[in-house]
Amino acid sequence: MKQSVLNRRNVSVAVLLAPMVLLLTCFLVVPVLGLLRSSFLPGSEFLAGNGFSLTQYVRFFSDSYYSSVLMETFVDGLIVSVVCLVIGFPTGYSLARLSPSARRWRTMIVILPLTLSLVVVVFGWLIILGRNGLINSLFVRIGVFSSPKTLLFNRVAVTVVLVQQFLPFMILSVMSVVTQIHPVLEQAAANLRANRFATFRRVIVPLAMPGVLVGFNLVFVLSISAFITPRLIGGARVAMLGSLIYERIMSELNWPSGAAMAFVLFVSGLGFTAALNALAGSHLITKGRGNAL
Amino acid sequence: MRSDLVDHVMTVFGAVVRGLVYSMLALPAILVVASSFTSSDTMSFPPTGLSLRWYKKAFDSEVFMSALWTSTYVAVLVSIIALAIGFAAAFAINRFSFRGKMFLQGLAFSPLIVPAVVLGIGLLQLFAWLDLTQTIYPLLLGHLVLAIPYVVRTVLASLSLHDQMLEQAAMNLRATPVQVIRRITLPLILPGLLSAAIFAFVTSFGNVTVSAFLTYGGNVTLPVQIFTYVNTSYDPVAAAVSTLMIIVTLAVILTVERLIGAERLA
Repeated sequence: MKQSVLNRRNVSVAVLLAPMVLLLTCFLVVPVLGLLRSSFLPGSEFLAGNGFSLTQYVRFFSDSYYSSVLMETFVDGLIVSVVCLVIGFPTGYSLARLSPSARRWRTMIVILPLTLSLVVVVFGWLIILGRNGLINSLFVRIGVFSSPKTLLFNRVAVTVVLVQQFLPFMILSVMSVVTQIHPVLEQAAANLRANRFATFRRVIVPLAMPGVLVGFNLVFVLSISAFITPRLIGGARVAMLGSLIYERIMSELNWPSGAAMAFVLFVSGLGFTAALNALAGSHLITKGRGNAL
Repeated sequence: MRSDLVDHVMTVFGAVVRGLVYSMLALPAILVVASSFTSSDTMSFPPTGLSLRWYKKAFDSEVFMSALWTSTYVAVLVSIIALAIGFAAAFAINRFSFRGKMFLQGLAFSPLIVPAVVLGIGLLQLFAWLDLTQTIYPLLLGHLVLAIPYVVRTVLASLSLHDQMLEQAAMNLRATPVQVIRRITLPLILPGLLSAAIFAFVTSFGNVTVSAFLTYGGNVTLPVQIFTYVNTSYDPVAAAVSTLMIIVTLAVILTVERLIGAERLA
């Protein structure tokens, strides 16, 4: 009797989970593995190609152009994540401490760019930074610029736009973790004569670390794989790995090379975030112990 | 005294940062809407004149309208299918204990950590190999994969929030499991389910990073159409079409806000 109940339970669990497992296996795991396979093809064809070699990877890492693009992509990703953290933390923190009614419209502003299509947001930035755009006409009118300047097509513009796009992820991650930190802890710190900075450093930051890490990783991975923004805002002058891959696949139709680049991006991104998490994790444990004593 | 100064600096810094952040987040969308009503032939800000000519041009444009249709069609299908698949999985994860639960939960959220470029190219290659690139399946299945994490998360949140005592009471009154789900669980988490479906809809409707690789038979989604259009030309038609997207997205956010409160989305 008990056996059959158990079996029925197992069957229903399996039936409930099967569609999702099937979907994600066939259309997430299999495509990624297929791409991995293609990246080991020697030529530039993938449907007709066969064989197994490290040609694409050797070519990527031996060409100094690609390694410099990889480097720049990572540096850019780091800058974007750090800026998002610095300006996203205070915003997320204050959102968490607001009353629900005050929080409402602010949360909507944070969520809008997240749900809105990326191209629309980028298009908005073209209006801000364009030759006849908001900043140029404003600065020419008040006399900062004597004539309109080219504000697009440089790395700073790409970084600024990426920060705006991915900032909501940081704000929301910080907000969700800070709502779980009881305000009583801050009052206790204040009673112990800690100023706001000490409270922030010794109480808030350690407790908010998990949310910060989630936000940081998300922003970093999204930034290094961006290709729409670098193409439209950066143009041909700003090379990022994502736009290079897009070009390689969609214009040059060189699949094995594009696949290898995509995998370098994927694996190095994963490696970086894993290292960061390990570092922050061990730091957190030792520091947490120190603070507790 | 010193601590007063630190407190003061932090308060001012926080206020300035928040002001900047909120205006920076809202500005692009506001400017797109504002410049879509221009009457001039080129994009410029501040816009000159006021007219609806670019909307007329957008609605008359075959490419934009067919792209809008493709986007809507795919997004509706995705939200229905993703809700069914995601609800089933979230229900199993929330209500049953079984081995490998953590692994399955990780699997459900894994689309979030795979870069869009990797997923896009991978799917394009898979469907090229299956010789199905001229069908709607690549787009549909790609968007389904992307929508799953949002649906599972939203449904899991509403399942774990509501009171399970009601279900146990129904069980004690000899209701069958199917009756319990249909009469108790589903009505209770209905707002969560609707939000999950809506979230799947926006995920699909707005996506460009994966869709850019999955155009089929000349059919593209609206964001991809805007992307290709903006890539080559720069006129207010794109602003008018983008405004349509902003209106749809805003309507959706407001609906979800009504249903479950906006912060629960995040």
